Amino acid sequence: MTRLTVDGESVEVEPGTTVLEAARAAGSEIPTLCFDERLASFGACRVCLVGVAGAPAPLAACTTPCAEGMQVETRDPAAQRVARAVVELVLSELAEPPAPHTELAALARRLDVGEPRWPGAVHAPDDDLRHPYLALRHGLCISCGRCVRACDEIQGAFALTATGRGFQANVAAGIDAGFRDSACVSCGACADTCPTEAITEISLLHLAESATI
Amino acid sequence: MSANLVELARRAGAPGGPTAVEQLAQVAAQRGEVTDEDIRAVAARTGLPEAAVYGVATFYEDLHAARGRRHVRACTGTACFAATGGAHLGALADGLGVEPGERSADGELSLAQTTCLGFCHSAPAIRDGDTVDAGPGALERVLAGRTRQATEPPARSLLPEPVLTAPGDWEGLRAALGRSAPQELLDEVLAADLRGRGGAAFPAGRKWQFAAGATGERRYIVANGDEGDPGSYIDKHLMEHAPDLLLEGMALAGYAIGASEGFVLVRSEYPASRLALEAAAQRARERGLLGEDILGSGLRFDVTIVEGAGSYVVGEETALLACLQGLRGTVSARPPFPAERGLYGMPTVVNNVETLCNVPFIAARGAAAYRALSPGASAGSKLVCFNERFRRPGVVEVSFGITVRELCEEVAGGLADGQHLKAVQIGGPLGGILPARLLDTPLDFEPLAAVGCMVGHGSIVGFDAGTDMRDLARHLLRFGADESCGKCFPCRIGLRRAHAMVAGPGVIDRERLEALLETLELGSLCAHGGGMPAPIRSLIAHFPQELGLT
Repeated sequence: MTRLTVDGESVEVEPGTTVLEAARAAGSEIPTLCFDERLASFGACRVCLVGVAGAPAPLAACTTPCAEGMQVETRDPAAQRVARAVVELVLSELAEPPAPHTELAALARRLDVGEPRWPGAVHAPDDDLRHPYLALRHGLCISCGRCVRACDEIQGAFALTATGRGFQANVAAGIDAGFRDSACVSCGACADTCPTEAITEISLLHLAESATI
Repeated sequence: MSANLVELARRAGAPGGPTAVEQLAQVAAQRGEVTDEDIRAVAARTGLPEAAVYGVATFYEDLHAARGRRHVRACTGTACFAATGGAHLGALADGLGVEPGERSADGELSLAQTTCLGFCHSAPAIRDGDTVDAGPGALERVLAGRTRQATEPPARSLLPEPVLTAPGDWEGLRAALGRSAPQELLDEVLAADLRGRGGAAFPAGRKWQFAAGATGERRYIVANGDEGDPGSYIDKHLMEHAPDLLLEGMALAGYAIGASEGFVLVRSEYPASRLALEAAAQRARERGLLGEDILGSGLRFDVTIVEGAGSYVVGEETALLACLQGLRGTVSARPPFPAERGLYGMPTVVNNVETLCNVPFIAARGAAAYRALSPGASAGSKLVCFNERFRRPGVVEVSFGITVRELCEEVAGGLADGQHLKAVQIGGPLGGILPARLLDTPLDFEPLAAVGCMVGHGSIVGFDAGTDMRDLARHLLRFGADESCGKCFPCRIGLRRAHAMVAGPGVIDRERLEALLETLELGSLCAHGGGMPAPIRSLIAHFPQELGLT
């Protein structure tokens, strides 16, 4: 077993446990964005940064394994400053604020993120509504990779991929032909994990509603 | 990176065959663009899903820019910026009648930007097909259709006896096979205190030790030949003029850790490097220095040369491994480190080209002789290179501890045409900028770090009094944003925002800029986003007014 402290509380964990898992076991909540406990840790969003005694800079809790004697501080001021700035940057790349019930909106409220200090280019709206059950709105994509990983790790369909690089990074289904012309099996794992509603399920209820209007 | 994708590629026959990246690059070079049909064909051959191959095709510079029958690329590296302020790109677009990134309607001609061609000694550099023209008259020659291959100044050594500027003679491998066990060689490299020359300065011997001690069916040696740092042409020089030194270093690393396969990832911006390495590897096989039963010792080791497809971040070791496996060149969180789980999940040593080129001397002459090359400073020999602004540009072999002033004023002869040196950037785009008043700083890891700089790849790019430091900030951040792999959020969005902050004409809010730089430094997943603020910090510290800060 590995012993460490999280916010002063002693925790004992199995070797290989991540700092995020240990902190949650110890009752310390660490915010996350690209993390989904059903998927392998990715380490892209940097929202789960924590302070670790002796480390030169904050570490991502989701990808850092616990080590014997480690002292983790989830409220490290530098880590919290950077996590908030990252969420601020993410909001600044969207043309409109995320819907209030999305995971991203909840995270922004929780971290009390205000007006973006660094406004600039946003992702252009580009909706793919060709599939009967799944809608893909590229303009809402924040490149967290959760949908791509869900398709790879949960379903094994490999219908999705990350595309482009830098600020132009996004996702695509198949050879950018949309879900309908991809290896998609309509399992919905991507929509289920998406934190911004860039991918949503078109439910029969929605179809019925739009039909009556 | 996805373990499932790696496994799919492995089951289809990798490693060994051409990767998805190489197959797509071949299509792009031959036919000018990659179609959906090509993506399906490459997916079928490599075992990768179609979507994954599409993701690869959208990631690398060489794969998504449409090419004409004549494809011209203007180098937009920092040495070319120092030479022209970037004017050569506009002049080329005007003269050719094609905008950068575009192809003429008749499909005859296309123009693209590339960073960097490694002809920093005679900037600006322009690549026309696989011919690189550079220096005075290059622009006019390319426009007139009379492009000619630029020459390169010969490398010089300031050491009593050249170590890295002599072609390899395989004496180190002969010595190691003849008298020392693998562990003894590993101990010698540890004792030599050889630090990585690719930027991170991590002790090579310790990497080897980790990989030797890790469990796996097989182990791999990977030489990082993706020297993307604009201004640096050191690894290019080594791969083209001393390829045997690199191959020998790799064979020695393989002997030390028990690996029988090696890979060199060469960047596509250096078309001559791949050819030189392949020719050298073939000669070495014919002489019994690579392959089965090397020199009758029973050692088996061979090397495969793999070409990249245009991505700076692929120089980061986890992104490099992704590229070698034919995937998108994005960075992965460490741990696991490559030494434990690298290429195809196996223990892998990833060393920079120059690092490996130091190994034959250590094997032949021992750790003490190696450390003595730089008395009173970090161990060994170091190559530096100078840009075109200097009177005597080129690759020079020096000892650590020499001051930057001696390098700039004596070794490189000061600036050409009696120009005044305003500042130098050392070690690439992630290195700080040293103003002229700090030139007495020694070239070594710790003294340079103390002034916000680094040894990096060892490039020294001088800027003359005419350089506008706000323009330089713009140039650097543009490069940073263009080359971000797009995985971690601080780098993906933050570098774009940082560029926007300096690109406009107005004053820059210092507090907002510094908060953004902190987010990049502390939040980024790799040294790209983490390091891009370093030169901007230098400009804030030494040229605040020119930068236009509030």
